[in-house]
Amino acid sequence: MRERGKASKQLADANGDAPSKSKLLDPASPLEKEELLDKLYWIRQAIGLFCGLLWGGIPLVGSFWIVVFVALSSATIYGYYTFTLKIDEEEFGGHGTLLQEGMFTSAMLFLLSWIIVYSILHF
Amino acid sequence: MALSMKYLDSVIILAISFATAAICEVISWVLIYRTPSYKSLRSSIDRASRKLEVMKGASAGIPAVSSTKSSKVKKMDRLENSLKESSRDLSFAKFKSGGVVAIVLVIVFGLLNSLFEGKVVAKLPFSPIPFIQRMSHRGLLGDDPTDCAMVFLYFLCSVSIRSNLQKILGFAPPRNTAGPGLFSMPETKSR
Repeated sequence: MRERGKASKQLADANGDAPSKSKLLDPASPLEKEELLDKLYWIRQAIGLFCGLLWGGIPLVGSFWIVVFVALSSATIYGYYTFTLKIDEEEFGGHGTLLQEGMFTSAMLFLLSWIIVYSILHF
Repeated sequence: MALSMKYLDSVIILAISFATAAICEVISWVLIYRTPSYKSLRSSIDRASRKLEVMKGASAGIPAVSSTKSSKVKKMDRLENSLKESSRDLSFAKFKSGGVVAIVLVIVFGLLNSLFEGKVVAKLPFSPIPFIQRMSHRGLLGDDPTDCAMVFLYFLCSVSIRSNLQKILGFAPPRNTAGPGLFSMPETKSR
């Protein structure tokens, strides 16, 4: 794990550059905590934007769909680090740290895109 | 699906928020991010937090009763204190640009308020809880909870656009300075 940690310092910038597709899906790609949290952050933002555009375009109306978004977003993140990356979450701060990364900003982005697309396309 | 002009104001607010966020980041970059003191503080925080992570991981495997572990814990404490001090210095260093940014935000908010006061700028696809309605329905006539006022939309724009812009540009604050998160458990040090 230490060798993996050292090797991963050559990889994406810890300040949050969006990771490439191959690094997102490769469970063998060495991970530091910062790098993993950045990946989870950007995945959350992408899910928030995608759901907002989709919910607004269909349109899906009602507070229930906010709950659906939160559940879907969290389940995707959980599934990603558990089943795709297969990491030991304790090494990265526990489920709480991983699940909360980017959650608030993603929720705001989701609401913003949902509201604007809904308003522009359906009125 | 035809594009409607009825709620075009929402797109205008989005564009103004984006421009404001970009201007704020430029101001922050000019006043603080490009200065050597900020760069050295930032790199020392990053170095200290990485070192701390490594030490925490290494100390987990050492037996509980051990002089080695005790000295490790002392080193970790020193490192944590140094990290806290650097974080405090970083916050203070950002205070200067924060004041200018705050002025810009107040001016922009005042401008938006004068342009969109009393206007329904968007339609909410949900009925917000009463607490949120104080912001989402601020200054609007009528009782329709799905009418959206400028304040709420601007708030959403500010949070989502500015946070992501800072992240993309690499100006986001280091995670260790952010404090405990929503779900973080208190760490217990074993001595």
